[in-house]
Amino acid sequence: MNMHEQLQQIQQELQDQLRQIQDSGALEALRLKVLGKKGSLTQMLRSMGQLSAEERPAMGQLINKAREDMSARLDEVARRIQEAEKEARLRDEALDVTLPSSGAHQGCMHPISMVIDQVTDVLTGMGFEVVEGPEIELDHYNFELMNIPKNHPSRDAQDTFYFDENMLLRTHTSPVQARIMTTRKPPIRIICPGRVYRADEVDATHSPVFHQMEGLVIDEDVTMADLKGTLDVFAKRLYGEDIRTRFRPSFFPFTEPSAEVDLTCVACHGKGCRVCKGTGWIEVLGSGMVNPKVLEMCGIDSSRYSGFAFGVGMERIAMLRYGITDMRMLYEGDLRFLSQLRAD
Amino acid sequence: MKVPMQWLKQYADVPVSAKEYEEQMIMHGTGVEGIEDVAQQVQNVVVGRVLSVVKHENSDHMVICQVDVGDEVLQIVTGAPNVFEGALVPVAKCGAVLPGGKRIQKGKLRGVDSNGMLCSGPELNVPVDLYPSVGDEGILIFQEDYPLGADVRPILGIDDQIVDFEILANRPDCQCVWGVARETAVTLGTTFRKPEISVRGVPGKMDDFVHIDVRDTDLCPRYVARVVKNVRIAPSPMWLRRALHGCGVRSINNIVDITNYVMLETGHPMHAFDLAKVRNGHIVVRRANEGETIVTLDGKERALSTEMLVIADQEHATGIAGVMGGEESEITDGTQTVMFESAAFDHANIRVTSRTLGLRTESSGRFEKGVCAATAREAIDRACQLVEMLQAGDVIEDVVDVYPNPAPIRVIEASVQRICRRISVDVPGETMKQILESLSFGVELNGDTLRVTVPRFREDVEREADISEEVLRIYGFEHLGSTLLRGETMPGKRSAHMHLTDKVGRILTGMGMYEIKNFSFVSPKLLDQLRLSADDARRHQLRLLNPLGEDTSVMRSTLAPSMLQTLSLNQSRGNEQGMLFEIAPIFDPDAHTSDGLPDEHQMLCIGAYGPRVDFYTVRDAAMELLRQFGIACEVAPAAEPYHHPGRAAVLCADEAVVARVGEIHPDVLESFGLSRRALLAEIDLRAVEKLKRPMGEVKPLPRFPAVTRDLALVMDETVPVGTVLASIRKAGGALLESAEVFDVYRGAQMLAGQKSVAFSLAFRSPERTLVDEDVNAVMKKILSTCEREYGAQIRA
Repeated sequence: MNMHEQLQQIQQELQDQLRQIQDSGALEALRLKVLGKKGSLTQMLRSMGQLSAEERPAMGQLINKAREDMSARLDEVARRIQEAEKEARLRDEALDVTLPSSGAHQGCMHPISMVIDQVTDVLTGMGFEVVEGPEIELDHYNFELMNIPKNHPSRDAQDTFYFDENMLLRTHTSPVQARIMTTRKPPIRIICPGRVYRADEVDATHSPVFHQMEGLVIDEDVTMADLKGTLDVFAKRLYGEDIRTRFRPSFFPFTEPSAEVDLTCVACHGKGCRVCKGTGWIEVLGSGMVNPKVLEMCGIDSSRYSGFAFGVGMERIAMLRYGITDMRMLYEGDLRFLSQLRAD
Repeated sequence: MKVPMQWLKQYADVPVSAKEYEEQMIMHGTGVEGIEDVAQQVQNVVVGRVLSVVKHENSDHMVICQVDVGDEVLQIVTGAPNVFEGALVPVAKCGAVLPGGKRIQKGKLRGVDSNGMLCSGPELNVPVDLYPSVGDEGILIFQEDYPLGADVRPILGIDDQIVDFEILANRPDCQCVWGVARETAVTLGTTFRKPEISVRGVPGKMDDFVHIDVRDTDLCPRYVARVVKNVRIAPSPMWLRRALHGCGVRSINNIVDITNYVMLETGHPMHAFDLAKVRNGHIVVRRANEGETIVTLDGKERALSTEMLVIADQEHATGIAGVMGGEESEITDGTQTVMFESAAFDHANIRVTSRTLGLRTESSGRFEKGVCAATAREAIDRACQLVEMLQAGDVIEDVVDVYPNPAPIRVIEASVQRICRRISVDVPGETMKQILESLSFGVELNGDTLRVTVPRFREDVEREADISEEVLRIYGFEHLGSTLLRGETMPGKRSAHMHLTDKVGRILTGMGMYEIKNFSFVSPKLLDQLRLSADDARRHQLRLLNPLGEDTSVMRSTLAPSMLQTLSLNQSRGNEQGMLFEIAPIFDPDAHTSDGLPDEHQMLCIGAYGPRVDFYTVRDAAMELLRQFGIACEVAPAAEPYHHPGRAAVLCADEAVVARVGEIHPDVLESFGLSRRALLAEIDLRAVEKLKRPMGEVKPLPRFPAVTRDLALVMDETVPVGTVLASIRKAGGALLESAEVFDVYRGAQMLAGQKSVAFSLAFRSPERTLVDEDVNAVMKKILSTCEREYGAQIRA
């Protein structure tokens, strides 16, 4: 076999073997077998010494040409195989994307905390500052300064837990207002969220521990229309633009005039339903113009300043908002309830 | 307060529907809980005469009656034992409705047709005191003649609507029919018609019957008494019985009924004494004597204190003033001479007495809220007028009226303009005048000035602000405008505490935890369950004087037990796992604020259980939370009595304990009914607030490469890895960028009691690329430190 034939044979064999090659390992072996140091083509180059000086350049050219040619073919197959192997890997790596996994999990704030947060957002946006105070209070701040003297029947409305004659668990967050009024000068614009206590047995609608948010504004020339305007914004921001307020005459010792404030029923939007007992209104807030007696007891000039105050039960808001029908669920900590919640 | 509409309508017209009435009253300041239509509960029940009574063949107690109901004769089978020929009875015809929604239909009783039902009193909701009959067993038999087929409702006094008023605490004057009638008239624009009160009287002197001595006029500002002789005790007439029935009051006899009727009508509690039983005819109003006792009408003996006001004879107390009368002077069928008492007592004193004795009566309730002294005379005269009207006795014309210091008439000067500004509604002065006059105020309007004379019964109206409320509520709250706050712009903001708790909440919920809220008061026994020693500071708890029960009797001194209770509840409800947290104060009676109030210390408690949490989960949650506040902590082993002694630690920063973390001791798990391991972290939020640091600036990214080295050290099992790590970091100095633990190995290749800990260290300089020599020098220092301090050796 002369060298021409030998070369042709090597090329032919490579061609044949390339057709059968499936993986990059075998391809690399083939490359070595032909083009490696001990490869058949390299051997041919080495055996060029046997050729005459005239034949050598032509043969050399031929072999080099063949080497480039074969190298290109090997590369091309290599690319094909790599591509196929990548695709095979991607196929193998496919996941059942529907398979559940324990993965990421976000907890949630308590519903009361969420509504306190929402109401705070609305009211701080209107220039109210959040002020907090102690839960164990003096009778002086909780009652006396709120125009509820000792042995007054209006104490009946707020069954109180006492530690001694003067110390009690606050029955509303009003003592925080009293503390501010006795220490700051108007203008005052504050909200006081917090835990309050009344000696009520636990049932679906009562709890001895609950939460309130009270607001207080004192300035020159504050009017009852300002109160209504503020609560209108409060209602709309919290429940939607179609929600209106309705003021009803009422009595609180610390306000005069006093009003209960109803909102358009948030469940039926005023059509009448089970939640509002068919009236289209739900009772949500107590409010009024600060009684000048209270201002005077707190050392504020009632001839110069006037003000309004309002109070909202946070449980009421949370229960309406999240459709909670039993107050006990709020204080039990049962995860079957809590895990239904998400950031609101 | 329940008021029958017919009684109300005697004094004020109500020309609107019940629904409209309710709405109007509510919107003008008189709460209405509801209006019960009693008449609707009984329908198609008529007067019938029993024509014949024949025994039922298949029954030994039933009879077959033919009953004439006017337009027809019905055959009705009944089991009533008292039915007789000629009896006039209430007949429920077919299709009739009875209270409770029961419908009467045609039927057969033991094979005999029965076309209706003969009714007993209870079946019609008519008690014996409302319509005297034969008791509950048999058919109601009418006592007088009525046309056959007539509706029984007006006859039996069950044809009314009952209005349930909810009177505001500042309006004791509305706790009576006249009060709500007055408000009704003003609200509906009709007229309040108070009856003319006059007593004819018969000659006689009070002194001949009774001697009254009011010794403590500070507690009894007014005491009025009148005497009725030749008393004829009898049942009250139907109109009186039905009026009381509508208010939920039982009819007793004419004299007792009059006292109740007058109380309901005028708001004045009225007491009637049988004068024959008042020893020597002496009535003394005084404070109780030391050690004095009394047997009250309810048959109980009660110990009195010297601050309680009593009604006494010359020797001892016979009644507790304003609260309850005594047994001795009760009205009986044999009573011949009656003394009515209409008084005013100090409301705070009555309140204290009633609470101290645990004795609350209709009378004490009214006196607590305030009974007007000025109208006491009018009320007693009304009672005497009714006595004459009912011919229940002869009223002596003389009166005892002890009223040494009549309250002055209150006059308020108010400004129309100021009122308008306060309520932000423009009400003309003339309209204000009309409104106030309709409410029985006297008004002089002079330019801007309203000179308002307050009626005696309106003790709640003291100043201009009160006048403004009267004007606005009658003028109508619907006139209120809606304006936004003016004046100085104020920066709204959250409190520092709220910022802190908001952030804690965001971080912990991000870790998958749920916030809970527990009650602030708990059972003191929980501390035993926690295994706290007797001298533990947390045993000092604030105790409520009047807790709802022992389980809610002390303020929390730690959040741990209520968290454990919540975890236990969740385990018992089948919740596989849980991570919860609570933010709340604990109360320390030994530390005080400047007001002398107990210290309220804000705490955070994390509780967790379940397959995916262990000590490290909770410890790392606490540490990461603190890191988010810029607080780097050192961890040191330390266990509370309720912790697993080998699985608990304190996290310290600046030498203060910021948090305590631990797995719960098995005994404590058991005492809280927890079947699985549980973990707690208690974090001192006050310390967090104090130690937290602002975020500050970030470092520039490194410009030179890091050199990393792994280091495996063999050390005693007891050596805490965290401590070694801290030493490595210290020894590593500025060039040691980070040091982490990546493996702890115990086992075959180790000697007993030893472990191998693998650290991964990274070195970097901000100024240059480090070379081996740099790193080797630091490594040497680290190694020698570890060897010196912990006897640690490089693992071969």
